[in-house]
Amino acid sequence: MKTRIKELRARYNLTQEDLAKKVGVRRETILFIEKGNYNPSLQLAYNIAKALQTTINELFIFEDE
Amino acid sequence: MKGKKEIILSTVIVALVLLTMFFYLTETNEIEFNQILLVSIVIILVGLAMYIIWDKIRNVQKGLPGKDERVIAINYKAGYYGFIAAIWSAVLIPTTINIIFGYEFDGGDISAIVVLVSGFVFVLSYLYLYWKGK
Repeated sequence: MKTRIKELRARYNLTQEDLAKKVGVRRETILFIEKGNYNPSLQLAYNIAKALQTTINELFIFEDE
Repeated sequence: MKGKKEIILSTVIVALVLLTMFFYLTETNEIEFNQILLVSIVIILVGLAMYIIWDKIRNVQKGLPGKDERVIAINYKAGYYGFIAAIWSAVLIPTTINIIFGYEFDGGDISAIVVLVSGFVFVLSYLYLYWKGK
């Protein structure tokens, strides 16, 4: 699963640590979500989308397996 | 606050393990090879546990949580692998040693093997999953 987190973070001038603080997770969790190595829970995906002022559909690019 | 409590508790446990090791070594007159092996494994385990605690402290100091959903999931997975390792080590290691060397472990030895192997597998799985991301 690809994400647009990095792109949107850059738009709002947020570091991984800033975003992690906003959504209440560790910085590494944001890093692994960005790299596509970790699939967040629906709640965390929603919180990240909210922090980046977007929707889950806009934030995550789902691909058929 | 919950994260801080866990950090304090983990630090106390590590300190108690180190203290036990210290008394064990000072009370033992002649240290045998199997005791050196045992102490080495415990020291490696304590070192890895201290790294995990340090990592939590680093996050809490930055205002980030000590654990989040990914770390909790990793804990469950590593705990599962540690449990499987405990079962196998209780059966496989004493049987294999008995077949190859003809040495029979007593109950205390087997308990020590189970604790050390499961602890080792838990910590290594935790660190592997932590750095892999999943």
